[in-house]
Amino acid sequence: MKTLLYIALIAGITSIQSVLLPHVSLWGVKPDLGFVAICLIGLFGGELEGLLFGLALGWAMSLFSAQDLLSAAIVKGGVGFIAGLAGRQVAYLSPLVLVLGLLVISCLVGLITPFVLRLSVQQNVWWALWTVVLPQAALDAIIGGSVYWLINSYFNLEQWVSEYRI
Amino acid sequence: MRMVNFRLSYNARRVALALTVILVLGFLLLPGQLQTVFHAVGSPFGWIISWPLQAVAGIHDRIAGVWGQYVALQGVEEENRHLRRELDLLKEQNAQLRESAAATERLAALLEFKQQALPTLVAAQVIGRDTGNWYKTIILNKGMSDGLQSDQGVITPAGVVGRIVKTTSSTSVVLLLTDPNNAIAGLIQRTRDEGIVEGTTHGTAQLKYIPLLSDARPGDRVVTSGLVGGFPRGLAIGTITRIDKEDEALFQSAELVPEVDPNHVEEVLVILPTSFPTEGERLGAPKTKR
Repeated sequence: MKTLLYIALIAGITSIQSVLLPHVSLWGVKPDLGFVAICLIGLFGGELEGLLFGLALGWAMSLFSAQDLLSAAIVKGGVGFIAGLAGRQVAYLSPLVLVLGLLVISCLVGLITPFVLRLSVQQNVWWALWTVVLPQAALDAIIGGSVYWLINSYFNLEQWVSEYRI
Repeated sequence: MRMVNFRLSYNARRVALALTVILVLGFLLLPGQLQTVFHAVGSPFGWIISWPLQAVAGIHDRIAGVWGQYVALQGVEEENRHLRRELDLLKEQNAQLRESAAATERLAALLEFKQQALPTLVAAQVIGRDTGNWYKTIILNKGMSDGLQSDQGVITPAGVVGRIVKTTSSTSVVLLLTDPNNAIAGLIQRTRDEGIVEGTTHGTAQLKYIPLLSDARPGDRVVTSGLVGGFPRGLAIGTITRIDKEDEALFQSAELVPEVDPNHVEEVLVILPTSFPTEGERLGAPKTKR
């Protein structure tokens, strides 16, 4: 059941990211819903789930992007793995801490990505930082914080995590 | 059917995690050719995902249609669209006529004129855009099953849109002309100087490697040179707005405004390979006798 849910989530996120988000982009930059989902799944599901979901979503999203399969899958899988490790170290996660965490991780991933992709010389680190990395990190953090706050308001996340994760 | 169960014991989870990491590292070390196998495996998955993607795109189009036709300015949008299409057609016609006139002047006295065959085109609809922020791409609703492949040129009647970089069985990803990672062989229509057209980070394009002695100037039109990559000669790319000539530089460069606004493209035409003659064939290169 959970696998089906994850497959549906991958299909849904890929479609929304590709079709709807370009219309709600700010400063020409759209949030990465996949990144937010991977972080949340890694945090609450653990390293393995974060890694597998990240790899699968990175692969699916790369099919609808010029980004190559390898870098997309590895970067997203790595994010899921790190989120899983981080989730194991945190006893209680407030929305504010999550927002700051997402901001930092999104910035780090955004700064690494241009080197991984070997982009054009015009797209240097400063260009990437000001035009893509910072706006995207801010959007990711806001969306991730909002989703977490919503889930936390309706579900007992702490109990679920303590029962689910070993 | 037994589903994958993520509720594993601690040790089993650790072993699974270690195996996954080893697989990922192995994947990293695979040569590029083998990685294309993984892309081929992804093609059917891409076909599955293309259904919700096309469904979302369809819903989006319906909502946009209702908004455009009923809520916002009734009738005006349709008229505007009609006029834009007409303008695009006239621009294309104008570019072709200019190109034909220039070619006729140069070649009529030297060669027996051979009419340029019209390329075979496949019409496709834009259903989405890049899932990331690093590339400027559009996603088409046609893919490998319609004969589309990487490196095929994509145009509208007004001019060049970009080049296909990736396909699944039912979708294609087109890297836009305005992306800095794209490069198309271009030609200044008036001076016949060739160069490479690249996108810029500002959403425009630039023509690089123009010879220093060229008298290119703002207002000159740039068309495809037809030398390499997916496009026949003479398709409109853009108009020069500024010439950059640096001291001690070996070449000039020029800023272009693309003929096609890639942010508002809805339908495109894909040029199928080997459907247009090469420059050698077009100029009537002698064939080997049997």
